[in-house]
Amino acid sequence: MDHPKVGAVMVVGGGVAGIQAALDLADSGFFVYLVENSPAIGGVMAKLDKTFPTNDCSMCILSPKLVESGRHGNIELITNAEVESVRGSAGNFTVGLRIKPRFVNIEKCVGCGVCAEKCPVKVPDRFNEGLGDRKAIYTKYAQAVPSAYVIDPEHCLYLTKGLDKGKDVCKLCVKHCASQAIDFEQGEQFIAKMVGAIILGTGLETFNPTGFINYGYGTYPNVMTSIEFERMLSASGPTSGHLERPSDGGRPKKIAWIQCVGSRDVAKSGNAYCSSVCCTYALKEAIVAREHAHGELDAAIFHMDMRTFGKDFERYLERARYEFGVRLVRSRIYELQEGEHNELIIRYAQLNGEVKTETFDLVVLSVGMVPGKQNQVLANKLGIGLNKYGFSQYPNFNPVSTTREGIYACGAFQGPMDIPRTVMHASAAAGYAATILAGARNTLTKPVVKPTQKDVAGQAPRVGVFVCRCGINIGAVVDVPDVAGYARELPGVVHVEDCLFACSQDNQSKIRELIESKNLNRIVVASCTPRTHEPMFRQTLREAGLNPYLFEMANIREHCSWVHAGNNEAATQKAKVLVKRAVSRVVLQQQLYEIDLGVEQAALVVGGGVAGMNCALDLAQQGIQVYLLEKKAELGGLTRRVHLTMDRRNVKGYLESLIDAVESNPLIQVYRKAEIQDVRGFVGNFDTTFTAAGQTHVINHGVAVIAIGGRQYQPVEYLYGQDPGVITSLDLEEMLADRSPALRAADNIVMIQCVGSRDIERPYCSRVCCSESVKNAIKLKENWPNLNVYVLYRDMRTYGFFEGLYKKARNIGVMFIKYTMDEKPLVERVPKKDGLALRVTVKDHILGRPLQIETDFVALATAIIAPEDGERIAKLFKVPRNSEGFFLEAHIKLRPVDFTTDGVFLCGLAHAPKLIDESIAQGKAAATRAMTVLASKNLVAGGVVSAIDGERCSGCRICVGLCPYSAISFNEVLKVAEINQVLCKGCGVCTSACPTTACNTSNFSDEIIMAEIEALCT
Amino acid sequence: MVDFEPKIIGFLCNWCSYAGADLAGVSRLQYPANLRVVRVMCSGRVDPTFVFKALSQGADGVLIAGCHPGDCHYTEGNYNTLKRYPLMMQMLEQFGVERERVRMEWISAAEGTIYADVVREFTETIRQLGPYKRRLVKGRDQVG
Amino acid sequence: MAKLNLALYWAAACGGCDVAVLDVNEKILDIAAVANIVLWPVALDHKYADVAKMAPGSIDLCLFNGAIRNSENEQIARMLREKSQVLVAFGSCAISGGIPALANLKDRDDILRRVYLETPSTVNPDGVLPQTGCPTPVGDLHLPEFYDFVYSLDQVVEVDYYVPGCPPTPQRIWEVVQAVVSGNLPPRGATVGALDKSLCDECQRVKRDKKIKRFYRSHEIITDPELCLLEQGLLCMGPVTRGGCGTQCINANMPCRGCYGPLPGVTDQGAKYLSSIGAIMDARTPEEVDEIMQGIVDPAGTFYRFGMSTSLLKGAVKQ
Repeated sequence: MDHPKVGAVMVVGGGVAGIQAALDLADSGFFVYLVENSPAIGGVMAKLDKTFPTNDCSMCILSPKLVESGRHGNIELITNAEVESVRGSAGNFTVGLRIKPRFVNIEKCVGCGVCAEKCPVKVPDRFNEGLGDRKAIYTKYAQAVPSAYVIDPEHCLYLTKGLDKGKDVCKLCVKHCASQAIDFEQGEQFIAKMVGAIILGTGLETFNPTGFINYGYGTYPNVMTSIEFERMLSASGPTSGHLERPSDGGRPKKIAWIQCVGSRDVAKSGNAYCSSVCCTYALKEAIVAREHAHGELDAAIFHMDMRTFGKDFERYLERARYEFGVRLVRSRIYELQEGEHNELIIRYAQLNGEVKTETFDLVVLSVGMVPGKQNQVLANKLGIGLNKYGFSQYPNFNPVSTTREGIYACGAFQGPMDIPRTVMHASAAAGYAATILAGARNTLTKPVVKPTQKDVAGQAPRVGVFVCRCGINIGAVVDVPDVAGYARELPGVVHVEDCLFACSQDNQSKIRELIESKNLNRIVVASCTPRTHEPMFRQTLREAGLNPYLFEMANIREHCSWVHAGNNEAATQKAKVLVKRAVSRVVLQQQLYEIDLGVEQAALVVGGGVAGMNCALDLAQQGIQVYLLEKKAELGGLTRRVHLTMDRRNVKGYLESLIDAVESNPLIQVYRKAEIQDVRGFVGNFDTTFTAAGQTHVINHGVAVIAIGGRQYQPVEYLYGQDPGVITSLDLEEMLADRSPALRAADNIVMIQCVGSRDIERPYCSRVCCSESVKNAIKLKENWPNLNVYVLYRDMRTYGFFEGLYKKARNIGVMFIKYTMDEKPLVERVPKKDGLALRVTVKDHILGRPLQIETDFVALATAIIAPEDGERIAKLFKVPRNSEGFFLEAHIKLRPVDFTTDGVFLCGLAHAPKLIDESIAQGKAAATRAMTVLASKNLVAGGVVSAIDGERCSGCRICVGLCPYSAISFNEVLKVAEINQVLCKGCGVCTSACPTTACNTSNFSDEIIMAEIEALCT
Repeated sequence: MVDFEPKIIGFLCNWCSYAGADLAGVSRLQYPANLRVVRVMCSGRVDPTFVFKALSQGADGVLIAGCHPGDCHYTEGNYNTLKRYPLMMQMLEQFGVERERVRMEWISAAEGTIYADVVREFTETIRQLGPYKRRLVKGRDQVG
Repeated sequence: MAKLNLALYWAAACGGCDVAVLDVNEKILDIAAVANIVLWPVALDHKYADVAKMAPGSIDLCLFNGAIRNSENEQIARMLREKSQVLVAFGSCAISGGIPALANLKDRDDILRRVYLETPSTVNPDGVLPQTGCPTPVGDLHLPEFYDFVYSLDQVVEVDYYVPGCPPTPQRIWEVVQAVVSGNLPPRGATVGALDKSLCDECQRVKRDKKIKRFYRSHEIITDPELCLLEQGLLCMGPVTRGGCGTQCINANMPCRGCYGPLPGVTDQGAKYLSSIGAIMDARTPEEVDEIMQGIVDPAGTFYRFGMSTSLLKGAVKQ
C-alpha cells in the first residue's frame, strides 16, 4: 500500500548538527520537530569558548542560529523530550515522544530571571562542568533558546519536600513570578508526531577519565578535563575567563595538555579510534590560554602524533608553535604525580630516550569523544545498527544514512568529527530526508501571510511609545512612570503606555489596537534587547498593517536596569535618554519593503567528480533541472584512480553505478569537455555561457555549485620520474589492484609520507595520504606476508576509525619510521650487482642512527593540490580562494559548503583534500544548501540593505572592492556603482566608505545615526 | 572634578559587541550608567564623522566596539574599523583630543565580563580626564 | 540701466581671490561697464569711511574673500553685510576658513609666541606681542584684535551665496556678476558654480577598484598621467570634493586638495575622507596600517586644508 508521504521531519538532538539540519529543512519547505532532551538547544558547541582554527568565538557564531531556530515558523522546538517509540516506515513514521515536565510555562515565562534570584537552592552547574553553581530554577546558559526557565525536580525544595506531603514548601519562585509562569501541575507528557523522516544528531559526550587512576583526575585538584578547561577559558564561564588553579585559585604559569585520553587506547578506555579533534582543540586551548595569560604561560602539549589534518589546521599548528610558543612534546604520558603544593609532576621519555621530569601548575586531559549515553537506547528504539564503537553504522557510500531507511544520522552520532564536518553531514542528512519526501514539500509548512500595509510615507510622525516594566526587572530600578512621562513630551510622540510586560500576548493586541485607534505610524518599545525581541514586535506591526520597519527598541533592561541595579536615579536618567534616542531615530525611519524575485528552478554543477555527481543527483531527485559540466571527456574525476576505500569497499563499482545513475537521470544534462566562458546574473537567476564539445551553450540557472575537484601533486623530489621504482600511492594502488607481478617479486617497499604536503610551499596536510598508505600497506602485507613494508612518516594522521587500520598495520608487521622536516629521507640509486638499486636512507628516530633500506619500490604519498582552473572559476563566479588555491567557504565552521556570494556553493576536493565518503557527504550538503534557495519559486530580498543613488554616484569606485558578498558592481556605461539588493546583507560598510553620500543603508543612514548621537548627547 | 559625570557614546556592532553588552546584562554585571549605545549592524559602518559628531555634541568619550578581527558577521567589515581607527587617532591627536577619549575594542558575544570591564574602566578614564573641551562657535553675536 | 554698486573685499586670505578677479582679463572692462566699484582695497583707494556713509543696501553685490581672523575683518564684514543686497562668500577662506583656519589647531597664545618670539628670523629682545592699542607721541593707536579662532564668513554674518574655490575660477566670477545684473538669482544660500557630484565624475583618469599599499607625497612619485591619482597613492581629495573646477589640479598631475568643499549631505569633509581612505588601505593588521599611515604625514592639515572653521571639531582646544 502506498501511504502518502508526510512533509515533516523530526530532528533528534538540538546541537549544532540538529540545528543545521532543522534550519536547512525548514528553509526548503518541510516542517521540523526539533527534539532536544535538555531544556535548551545548543549542544556541546554552546559550551565552547573559541573554535579552531580561526579562534572565532563559539557563542557569537552559534547564537544567531539558536535564535533563528527558536523563532522559525516551520520549526517546533520540543525540549526536555526523548524519543520513546517509532512506528511506520520511510515517508510515514509515527514517533512517540516523552516530555519531561519543565514546571515553567514556556509561553508565559519572559525569561526575566527573578525566580532564579529568589530561589534558595544552589546546585553545581552542569553546563559549567560543575565548576560553578546555578539555582534549582535556571536556564541552561545565558543565551539559551528557549529562554524560558526550568525547574530541576531533583533539587527544587517544593518538588522534593513539599509536593508529596501536600505542603507549601518554599515556592518563592511562584511568589515572585510576575507572569505567573510557574506550573507545578505539569507532569510527564507523551505525545506522538507524524513525520516522513527522522534525523539523528544526538551528538557526543566527552570521555570521563575518572577511572584513569594514573592521571589522578578527581583526586588531584589541578587535573582537569579539556571541556572543563574550555569553560574556564570562556568569558561567560565560572571564572569569567580567568585562568585559575582549582586548588588555590592561583594563576597557573605552566600548563600541560595530555593527548589521547580515552582515544587511541584499547588497553584502558577500550576506545581504539582517534577522536579527530583533540589535537587541534588542545592547540586552541593552549593559544587562548597564552593569550589570557598575556604570554606569561608555558604551554606544553604531550602527544603521540599531532593530527591537524583539517582545512587550515596545519597553519594553525605552525602558528601555535612559532607565534604563540606552544611546546609540542612527543611522548605518551602514562602517569601523573602530585607534589606537595598540588603541582603535578610529569616524567616522560624524550625522543632520544632520555627521561625528563617536569612540573606543571595545571594539567589538562584532552579527553576524547565517546558516543552519547542515550545513543544505544535510541538506536534500539529506532532499530538501527551501531558499529563496534557505538557510533552509527552506515551502509556503503551513504555516509549519513543508517541501517534503517528513512532514518538518517549526522554529527558525532556517526563518529568523532569536528564542527564543519558535523554541519556538512547535517546538511547532507537533511538532503536525504528532503529527497525521499520531495513530493511532500511545502505540504505542512505554514504559508507566509502578508497583510496589506498602509502607506504612511509623507505623514507626520505619530509615535506610540511602550515602556515596559518587565515585572520588577525594569520597574524596580527604572522609574517607569517617570520615563513614560518624559516620553510624552518628545517631539512626534502622540501616545505613551506603561506596561507590565511589553512582550505579553495581551500587550501585542493592545499595540495593534492602538495603532488602529490612535492612528500611530511609528512604534517604540522600551524594554529589552532588540536581538531577541525585535522580530516579534515587528510581526505585531505587520499584523496591524504597519510597515514592520517603522519600529525601534530602547534596551532599558540588558543595557540599563540589569546593569545599574541600586542606582535608580542614574538608571532612570539613562532610560530616558535611551527612549529619546529611539524616538529621534524612529521618526526618521523609512518603510522598507521586501521584494520577491523569481528563482530559476535549475542548477549548474561545475565538475563531474564524486562530489559534483552526488550533488547533481540529489538536486535532480528533488525535481531540479541540473546542468552538469565536466572538463574532461569522462565523468569521475580523481576517483577514477581509486580502487578501494580504507575499509575495502569497491570504489570502481560504486563509481560506475553513480555515473550510470547520473547519466540515466532525465533531469541531469551532462556536458563533457566543457569550459565556461562567462557567468552573469546572481542568485536565483544566473546566465552562464559555456562550450562543450565545440558547441556554445547558454543556460539560465538559479544556483551554481563549484565541484571542480583537485589534482595530485607531481613530485619533483625523491627521484620521481627518474627511476621507474619511484611511484605515487595511487600508482601503487593501481598495481595492487592489478596484482602486478613486479610487486609480487619485490622484497622491500618504502612509502614516504607528506610528499608535497606540510612544507613551505604547501603548508597544509592532505588529510588522506596517511590512511591511503596504511590501506596499501595492509593490502601488501596480506598479499605477500614476506614483503617488508616501511612507512616513513612525520605524524601518522589516521584519524577517526582509521586508527584501527593503523593499529592493524603495526600488528601485521608494517614498519613505521618517523622522520622530521629537517631530516627528510634520502632516495638514491646505488650500484647493485646487476645494475642500479634504490636505496632509502632515513634517520631512525629511536636509535638516532641512519637506517639504510635497499628497496624495490618507493611509493610517494603525494599531496592533493588545488584545481588548476581554480583561478578562472573563482573570477567567473566572483568567489574567493585561500592562499593554497582551494576555494574559501563563507564560514569555515558553520557554512562549510556556502560561499559568501549567495547562490554559489562548493563541495569536494575544490574545497580541501578529503576522502570519498566525505566528498559524497559534502556534495549532498551542497545540494541541500542549494535547495534552500531553489525550494521556493521566489526569493525575498530587500529590507535593511544599501543602495546607491545613480544620480549622485561619481564613479570613484571606492566602494566596489569592499563588499564581501560581491553585491557591488560597477556599471561601465553609466560610470556608477550599483548594489544588488538580493546579495546585499545591509552591513553598511559601503555607506561609511562612500565619499559623497550617494550610498545609503536604509534605516542606518547618516541622518539617522547622527540623530541618535544628538539625542544621546543632549 | 569629583562630581563630573562623563557622557560617553558607544557604537556597538549588532552581532558581537551588542550581544556582549546584552550578556553583561543577563549576567547582571554592574557598571556605570555613563555610556549610551548606538547599535550599528557592523562596526565597519562607523564613519569617523560619527565620532567627531559625538565629540562636537558634548560627548566626553567614544567607544567603538566590534567583533574580533576574523570573527566579523559580515566576514571582514570590522577590518574597516581596524584600519580607520589608527588614522582617526592620529588626526584626533592633532585636534588636541587625548588618545584615551576614543577607544576601540573587540568584544565578542561571549565577553559580557569584558564589556562590563571596558565600560567601567573607560568611564573611570574619562572621569579622570575631565570633560572634553570643545571649540565652540557660539553664534554670530559672540564672535571674538 | 543704472550701474551696479560692486564691492570686493579681502579679509584673512592670501590675495589669490583678488588676483583671480583680475584674471577675468578683458572682461574686467565688461564688469566696469555694468558696475561701479565702491570698494576694492587691493586695487582702488576707497576708504572704509566712504562705505560707512552709504545707505544700508546700497551695494548691489559684495564679493567677500578671506576668513574672519581679527576684529577688523569682523567689523568690515558686518558693515558690508549691512550695506549689501547680495553678500557672497567668495572663495574657500570666506566659505569655510581656508588655509588661515588651519591655525585653529593652535590657540592665539601658541600662534603669537611662535610668530613673535620663536621664529628664527625674529628679533624681539623685549618679547613684545601685538597689542590692541598703545600710546604713541601723536596719540593713542588702535589696532585690530587678533582672535583666538578663525571664522568663516557665515559664522559672523548671514551670507547669501557661496562661490567655492581657492581661488574661484574667473569663469565663475563672471557668472556671478551676470546673474546679479540679470536678476536671475538662484535660491538664497546656494553654492554657485559647484556640481552635486564629486570631482571623480569630472576626472577623466582611469579608475579601478582601490587598494592602497602606500601613500606618497607629490614629490616622492612620478605618476602615470592616465590613472587615478588616489590609486597611485596620492592623497587626492577628489572623491570627497565637489566638482565644478574643471579638474585643474588633476590636469596638472597634482592631486585635488579639496578647495570646493564637501558634497551636499556630507557633514565633515575631513572625517568623510578619513572614512573612505581607511576603507581602501590594503591592510589586515594594525602593523600594516601603521606602515601605510607613514605616508600620511599631516592628516588634519591635509584633510581639512580648506574646511577647518566649519568642520565638526572646528579646531583644537588644550584639554
